[in-house]
Amino acid sequence: MNSIVATLVSGILLGSLYALMASGLSVVWTTLGVFNFAHGALMMIGAYAAWTVSEGMGLGLLPGILAGVAVAALCGIVIEYLLIRPFYGTRHMLLVTVMTTLAALIILEKGAQLIWGAKLKQLPRLVTGDVSIFGATISWHEAIIILLAPIVLLLLWRFTAMTNRGRSLRAVGQNQDSAALIGIDVPYAFAIAFGLAAALAGLTGALLGSIRFITPVMGSEPLVKAMIVVIFGGLGSLGATAGAAYVIGLLEAFLILWLGLYWTPFALFLLMIAVLIFRPNGLFGRA
Amino acid sequence: MTALLSVDGISAGYGAITVLRDLTLHVGRDESIGLFGPNGHGKTTLLRTISGLLRASAGRIRFDGADISRQRPAAIVNAGLVHSPQANTMFGDMAIAETLELAAFAPRARAGAKQRMEQVLALFPRLAERRKQLARTLSGGERQMLSIGCALMCDPRLLMLDEPTLGLSPRLKEELAEAVGAIARSGVPLIVVEQDVEFLLALTQRLYMIEHGAVAREIDRSDGLDHREVMQLYFGQGGEA
Repeated sequence: MNSIVATLVSGILLGSLYALMASGLSVVWTTLGVFNFAHGALMMIGAYAAWTVSEGMGLGLLPGILAGVAVAALCGIVIEYLLIRPFYGTRHMLLVTVMTTLAALIILEKGAQLIWGAKLKQLPRLVTGDVSIFGATISWHEAIIILLAPIVLLLLWRFTAMTNRGRSLRAVGQNQDSAALIGIDVPYAFAIAFGLAAALAGLTGALLGSIRFITPVMGSEPLVKAMIVVIFGGLGSLGATAGAAYVIGLLEAFLILWLGLYWTPFALFLLMIAVLIFRPNGLFGRA
Repeated sequence: MTALLSVDGISAGYGAITVLRDLTLHVGRDESIGLFGPNGHGKTTLLRTISGLLRASAGRIRFDGADISRQRPAAIVNAGLVHSPQANTMFGDMAIAETLELAAFAPRARAGAKQRMEQVLALFPRLAERRKQLARTLSGGERQMLSIGCALMCDPRLLMLDEPTLGLSPRLKEELAEAVGAIARSGVPLIVVEQDVEFLLALTQRLYMIEHGAVAREIDRSDGLDHREVMQLYFGQGGEA
């Protein structure tokens, strides 16, 4: 019984992290029609920037997290400007941007290694101490992530559904010419979408840096999981992506309990392939 | 007094293909003009170039005295020059009311947006009935209404309509033609692209016949030509091509 509750809680924690990551991928996809392979690396940059401000400069964790968000957002905007914008409207844009965002991933990973070195780093926790939820014990920091993720997702949803600026991102994603002709600056919308997604990645990295080690490649595993999430949920809808994130998080936690750590990625990828074959638009996507 | 819109010797096209060649025309203040001519001769390309979706490779476009030939579409809309394109599919996954609200996006359009929304819904009762529906569930005619409605939400000082009645049933066509007439009577100057010359003659003061990417002929309504004579002219010249 106890192990079930503990698994549930760790599944929800994983789901929260995946939701934060995958929602950024989803925002970029729905606005630009690009899949950003550097998303995990932006998360890593967020973690390192948070570490530099919090530990390196000794300014504390909250300023660190803010710096992580800001630096990641800035990197995202630069990547969009230099590596994606030149290829809009060209043939094979999707394929070209797969390559350019992969290049960004490599540049960021190697750059981080040069700047911060190979030594493992870790952030302190937002709050020390543990909390017990129905007999399962997790740290307060993890509990805060679980509480924070839905709030961030709700704010993001409100932004895209209720504000004209957020709506303009959806409009650009659905019809660039029509959007431009009602006065929406399309390149500006692209920059906002990419910066926003990168900020979400940076936030995830800064939060994750307290419970995992910060390394140049720390973003690759969350990126792969976020990819599984968006394929599972169907790229496009924020609600479907968030739902899929929690399903995958819980599934992963229970697979670890039942199959062990070793077979879990295998089972998740098998699931992803099955979804791609039988529901290519995602489990929650429109057929 | 300077013209509201003046297009001076522009050339434009897609890649290696030149569509517009040294095209010149103007729209005076408080007048509407019509564009007609064979398909594929540059009417749509001209509107796309004026609204900034395409960049002219030569020539200059001035709106209310300011050079807009190098400006982005968003800035041109914000100046009040608004384009409702041909067969505009709009935003498939967005509801009608949401789309119309969004269309008042430009800073110039924000004041009075609520009031304009009411005017648009009064002009197109079909949109009012379907305000919660997604755009992709609309018929071609309803989408056309949404597109024109969005253009009106931008608070246009000059409105360009590209074949507003293309491919519609006679009943819908009449409905849209009436709406366009109402817009013209409300005092918004128009540039209308249409094949139906009779419709253009009733709506506008002057017509330009566009052929091979240039103005082939300018027809002033005060010339006293009726639509049959214009059509004769049209087919006469079209025959030479």
